[in-house]
Formats: sequence, structure tokens, C-alpha cells
Amino acid sequence: MAVQSDSGGKDEVKTQFVTREGTYRLMTLSEYSRPNRVGYTSGSGSSHVRVSLVSLPPSPGVGNSDSQNSDDRICFNHGKELYVYVYRGVKKAADLTKPVDKKMYKGTNPTCHDFNTVTMTADSVSLVIGFSTGQIQLIDPIKKELSKLYNEERLIDKSRVTCIKWVPGSSNLFIAAHASGQLYVYNEELGCGSGAPQYQPFKQGEGYVISTCRAKSTRNPLYRWLVGDGSCVNEFAFSPCGANLAVVSQDGFLRVFHYDTMELVGRARSYFGGFLCVCWSPDGKYVVVGGEDDLVTVWALAERRVVARGQGHRSWVSVVAFDPYAVGFEAEAGDSHCYRLGSVSQDTQLCLWDLTEDVLRARGRAPLPAAPAPPLAAPNGTVPRAEPQRRKHKEDAGSLTQRLAGFSFGDRRDARRSDGRAGGAGAAGGAAGGGGDALRLMGTAACPRFDECPVLEPLVCKKIAHERLTALLFRAEYLVTACADGCVNTWARPRRDRPERD
Amino acid sequence: MSICQDFGLNFQHRMFGNTCYSNSVLQALYFCRPFREKVLEYKAKNKRTKETLLTCLADLFYSIATQKKKVGSIAPKKFIARLRKEKEEFDNYMQQDAHEFLNFLINHINEIILAERNQSTLKVQKNNSGENVTCNGSVPHNTEPTWVHEIFQGTLTSETRCLNCETVSSKDEHFFDLQVDVGQNTSITHCLKCFSDTETLCNDNKFKCDNCSSYQEAQKRMRVKKLPLILALHLKRFKYMEQFNRHIKVSHRVVFPLELRLFNTKRDRSSEPPTPAPAPPAPLVPPPGPVITVDVTVKPKKEKKNRKSDDAVNPDRLYDLVAVVVHCGSGPNRGHYISIVKSHGFWLLFDDDMVDKIDASAIEDFYGLTSDIQKSSETGYILFYQSRDASC
Repeated sequence: MAVQSDSGGKDEVKTQFVTREGTYRLMTLSEYSRPNRVGYTSGSGSSHVRVSLVSLPPSPGVGNSDSQNSDDRICFNHGKELYVYVYRGVKKAADLTKPVDKKMYKGTNPTCHDFNTVTMTADSVSLVIGFSTGQIQLIDPIKKELSKLYNEERLIDKSRVTCIKWVPGSSNLFIAAHASGQLYVYNEELGCGSGAPQYQPFKQGEGYVISTCRAKSTRNPLYRWLVGDGSCVNEFAFSPCGANLAVVSQDGFLRVFHYDTMELVGRARSYFGGFLCVCWSPDGKYVVVGGEDDLVTVWALAERRVVARGQGHRSWVSVVAFDPYAVGFEAEAGDSHCYRLGSVSQDTQLCLWDLTEDVLRARGRAPLPAAPAPPLAAPNGTVPRAEPQRRKHKEDAGSLTQRLAGFSFGDRRDARRSDGRAGGAGAAGGAAGGGGDALRLMGTAACPRFDECPVLEPLVCKKIAHERLTALLFRAEYLVTACADGCVNTWARPRRDRPERD
Repeated sequence: MSICQDFGLNFQHRMFGNTCYSNSVLQALYFCRPFREKVLEYKAKNKRTKETLLTCLADLFYSIATQKKKVGSIAPKKFIARLRKEKEEFDNYMQQDAHEFLNFLINHINEIILAERNQSTLKVQKNNSGENVTCNGSVPHNTEPTWVHEIFQGTLTSETRCLNCETVSSKDEHFFDLQVDVGQNTSITHCLKCFSDTETLCNDNKFKCDNCSSYQEAQKRMRVKKLPLILALHLKRFKYMEQFNRHIKVSHRVVFPLELRLFNTKRDRSSEPPTPAPAPPAPLVPPPGPVITVDVTVKPKKEKKNRKSDDAVNPDRLYDLVAVVVHCGSGPNRGHYISIVKSHGFWLLFDDDMVDKIDASAIEDFYGLTSDIQKSSETGYILFYQSRDASC
């Protein structure tokens, strides 16, 4: 493998990158794509390449884990096609000649998919697939017996399915989000009825309405959630405990609901433009979102406020993800807890971010309206990575320039604060209206002004593809990325510390 | 065409020679509400004046606004005829650059307004002529801003730090639009950030430092100090290539959101974009306070009165995309221009005398190409963002 040096041309596509914990390497043999690249055309509007990975339980008969078979299955879509392969991770090269299943659709494109991890067995798994024309299909790519369709006549929703996921812990419930701004809860065992569903309101709150389907016998959809003012719902994610549901929309809002009680728990607003992607921290305390403001935004559940913004991408952020395996990277920072974030963007770059305790705690200086009780713990000795410059203002009043800057900074701060209060008064009571209140939310906990919130810089920022990146998954031994031309790549994590411990 | 009957005011300018460069710009300007209203107001106030480009434009907008039919097309014959008289570059049937046309039109209208105002206040002017402040030529005689200034004019501050004596001098320049370089797979936000990147002046391009009284190496940075009501962004998609001896179209994919804020506004230092880690020269850190700022420009009086702080007046101003002029084809003097505009909450695509309603998600077709091979493309060329505080 030709190793490209990092000092090479800025626009070179990198095949490895170095972080504190070591070197991540592209596994060139573990590239998954369509089996045959003949007639291969890139682009053509099908940019929504998504990846689903599942680890099936080992089959009772075959105990030998070193056999040719891996328990992992990978599913990805590209254009009109959908592929399911045995995923061999970093140890073995991809075998593209024998897909577990492949589908090609006419007149519609698959856009998203999810494996059911509750009902799966060694030789069976339910895969639910959403389509660009609104339909939903349920298949078993291994057994190939199962095939059900939902919203087949498009009576429930005609718009594109933007995100589809099984309800955590459920064997039969899944949720599909649509470009129409609606989410539907389906039970895979139920039919969709012959007519268009009639709805009756079930629950509503600021900026959302939940309805049930009125019918003699229970039918799909069980519930319809209208979130926002009808702007496209771009993604949703359940918290790791399954209790909370985070929804991001084109109207620039993150809305977090308690799923069972259907109460709006909190919300955040983008700096500008739509939010495109969302992910929960492994401990469920933080939600990270990315969007059309080119930023990665971190929101704290307990305080219901934006606590940090990451600036480093050159275009819209298409996927954000916490790395749940990154515990212990921050050994040198003592007992301070650290989260690792990853993001990929239309700029073809992968960014990794460290979200340190220092950043998360260094907020006392800017009490914002609508924040319940800002913790005023002063930042401790360590310098917050995000704000080297602001630290300087405080600590070394060396040059005249800096002292002046400090004064000016202080004046400004006061002006801002009063601004913020005036602006945020309407929003202080919690959620208000739909997308029209972007101006009023500016300067509140839901959308701090740019200098009221720590700005993170990426730990690494590398161009890793020729096309827009559309997927990012963290696994124990590797990362998986995908881009708009339909290639799914695997990156081996640094091997440094593991052999030492074992 | 029946599709747009619900929206009204969807009159197109009928193609007249090779004039889609002007059609697309006029169409976009018509849907910039503050501009349209001012032009129509001008029409109502000025009944008898002699024909100028502005009266022709006002007549054109008036005839669109007062059309009884919901859909149709109007030939902007009078306007084009006048345009050809005013500027010889446009006096032919060739395809022209839409941005050059926009630039000419806005400046020309502004000059007409100023000239008319100066004429009517000639006597008053004579008495007070001593107080007149001259500046860089774009605003002669009268310092009161015109409605063209109020709509399109923003202010850039260029800050230059002499690397010899460390003195920072700043200079304000007015603009009617911002011209940004385009990068592959970037956003307009990123292109605007690059526009404000620190630039080192050295070699043949040294800076004449007043303090050192000599040419010195310096660092320079441009930031937006006053954000305009309508922010017009010109994507520099025509690049002169020496080896071909002509302009080549850069079709890079540049995404533009429906909603925009600027990161490169002048505010306190904490909001500075992060400087790249291996930055050999120290990043330019201009002092925000006016105390040690050496001001080298003579500003209009109004500007001075408002300068309580050197920070931008409203750095968080939120903009909405209202119109896009799209270039289709492979070069500046060939190809075609169309426009997409937002009207009554719907997006419409104007292609000379055709109009179509399009879905907002279809705008992504005009971001550009990710592959560098194809040279012909349909790409956003001029973006018009309108401040949200102007539209409510």
C-alpha cells in the first residue's frame, strides 16, 4: 500500500491519519461497493448512500469463529440499488462476488434502512427499507422469505423517507421519518388499510402534533408525529436508554422528546439553515447535531442548552457520531472525562473532535436566558482547548493591544447580555412556535450568539474521499465511512494500546 | 404555464436578442422586495422626467406589477434599447456577463438618483458646499445615502498590520456585492470565510506604511463591518486561464443554504475563525478598539456618527435566500442565464419566457458538479440574500 505523507498536497485524498492514540489506516481491501463497476456513473442525484451494520448472534452449530464466515452483515444503498454483504471487517478482504442479497428497484430509490437487532438470529434478520417515493419495505435478506410493503399506495405519505429505525427493544415497531415533516410509527405485523388514514389528535405541544389513526381495527400507522411546520425531518435518533427521541429538521431545529410521554423535553436552533444529522452521546447526556451552517453543535440534555460548536468543515455536515469506544484516549488529561466525536461532510472531509470536561464546564461566564440553572463552576487549571484566545485575554495582560481588546470585550459582553435577554424573553418560557422564531431565539440557550459559546477546533480534519461523504459508523476495531459514489470504506483503528494490555 | 396562476406577478421578460443575462438579473431584482418597492415608488413620484435607464426599469416593473393577466410575458424592448445607448459594451446581440450587468445597473441607477437629487438641491448645495465630504468617488457631492445604498450597500473593513512597526491601520470600503472565489465541494459560507482570510503582502505587493514611511511587509484581512439589507454574492466562476487565453468556467459544487449568517463580520476577537495550527506567520490580531486604529479613509459624515464601536452593527443578521441567477453552459460569453426566485413562499424558475414552479429541494441541482471533467453546467452565479428583519 502506498503510504501518502500528510505533508503532501492539500487536496490529496488521505489513506491514513494520526491522532493522539495512534494511526488510523484505510483498509484498501475492505472496500465494499457494487460487485461490478461496469457502467459505473457517479453522482446522478443519488447522494443518500447510507450504511447499516449488524452483528448476528453466532450460530449454535458453528463454534469456530475463525471460519470463513463472519457474523457481521453490512447493508448499503446506492442509486436504485441495495446490497447486503457478509462484512469481514479489517481482517479479511471484502468478497464482492457473493452478496447475501441485492435488490434493484424501478422508479424509486432506497434511501435508508435498519436491521432489527431484537428478533435477529444466526440465520435470519429483518431489514426495513425506506424509499424516495415514500414506500417502506420489510425483507429478510438472509432467509429471503419475508417481504412486506407499507405505504405501498402512498396513501399515508407521498414524500421521501428520510430516516427509518426500529424502536429500541421492540420486535415489531419501527419509525419512518418523511420529507413532509412527519414521522410515522408502524407495527410491522399490521396492515396499512385500503384507504387513506383518518387521524385524530392525540397529543400536542409547542411546534408538534401527534395523532392516532382512527379505524375500526388497529392499523398502520399507529401514530403520526408532525414535527415543526412541515419542513423535512432529516434524521432522528433514540437515546441509548431508548427513553428520548431527538429529531432534526430542515427548519433548523433539534427537538428532543420523551418518547413514551410524548413531551417536548428541549430544543436547539442551528446558527442558520437546516440541521441534517443527529447522534446521542453513549451516556445519553449530550446530543450532537450537524447541518447547513457547516458546524457541529453539542447540546446538553440536563441544561437544555447549546454548550459547544465545532468549526472546521468547509461545507454541510452530513453525519455526526460519538465514538463510544473512545474511552481512555484522554489518559494524559488525568481524570477529566472526554468524549470523542466524528463528523463527515459534503466537503469530503472526516473530522474528529475531542469534547473535554473543560469545555463542557467552562460556561459560567455567559449566563444565557432560558437556561434553568447555569452551573457556575469556574474552569479549572487546564486550558480549554476551544478557547486559547479568550484565555489569553484573562491571563496575560501583556501588550497594550491585548489589554484594550480585553476592555472592549467586556463592554461588548454586557451589551450582548442585555440584548440577549430582550431577544430571548419570548422564548424563555420554553418552546415557542415553529420555524419563524429564529430571530427571537438568537442569544438564548437554544441558539447562543457565536461568541457566547465555546468553539471547538477539530483534532483531525482530513480529506478522505473524492465525493461527498454520507455515512460514518464507529465500531470497536474500525470506522466505516461511505460516500456519494457508493463506496463503503473501512478504517482500522490504531493497534498501539491493545496488544500491550492483552 | 397554468401552474403559476396562483401566484400572480409572474411575468417574464420576453426574450429579445441574446438578452437572458439581463432578463435573469431583472427577474431576480424584481423579487427582491425592497428594491421592487423603491423602483415602483420612484415610478409613482417621477411622472415627467426624461427617459433614463431607471425610468425604463420603473416602467418595466410597473407593467409587470399592474398586469391583469396572471401569466404572460413582456418584452423589455425599451429597457434594452436604453441599455444599449447607455453602455456600448451591451450594444450588441452577444451574450454578456450577468454580474457585469448587475454591477452596471445598480451603480448606474444610483448615479441617476444622485444626479437628480443634486439637480433639485443645487442652490442649497452651493451654500453648503464647504461642508461636502468627498470620498472614493462612488458617492459624489451628496453624502446622504440613496435608497440604492440603503438596500445594497455594505461596508468592508480591511485591516492591515505592518510587520515592521506592528501598527494596524484600517480602511473602510463600500460594496454593492461581494465577489467570492469558489472551491470544490464547499459551501458559500466557507467561500465567504476564505474571502476574509489573512493575506500577507510581500515581494512586489508590499504595503506602504504611513508610520514607517516606507514599503513594508504586512498582513491584511477583510471583514464585513456593515451588513447590507440585500446581500448580493457573486460566485467567481469564470477564471482566466493563461494557457487557453480565455475564461474557463469553474463548475465546482458550492452549496448555498436557504438561510444564512456571516462568520466574517467584524466583532470582538473571540469570534475569530480558528487559525490553522501550523501558521508560520502570527495571525493578524487587530485591536477592536478605535484607540490605536489609524484611519486612513475619509468617511461620509453619517458613517462617523454611527461609529460608537468598531464592531459590525448587526453581526448576527439573518438572511433568507430570495433569488439566484443561474449560469448554464461552459463560458462567460456563451451559454444561457436563468433565474430562480422565491415568491409567496414558492420557488419559481424563470427561463426567458417560461416559468415553472419548482420544489425547494430542486435548488440543489444548481449547486454545481463534483466532477471536474465536465465543463458545461447549470450553476448558481449570483445569490441574493435578503435580511429577515426587512421582510417581516
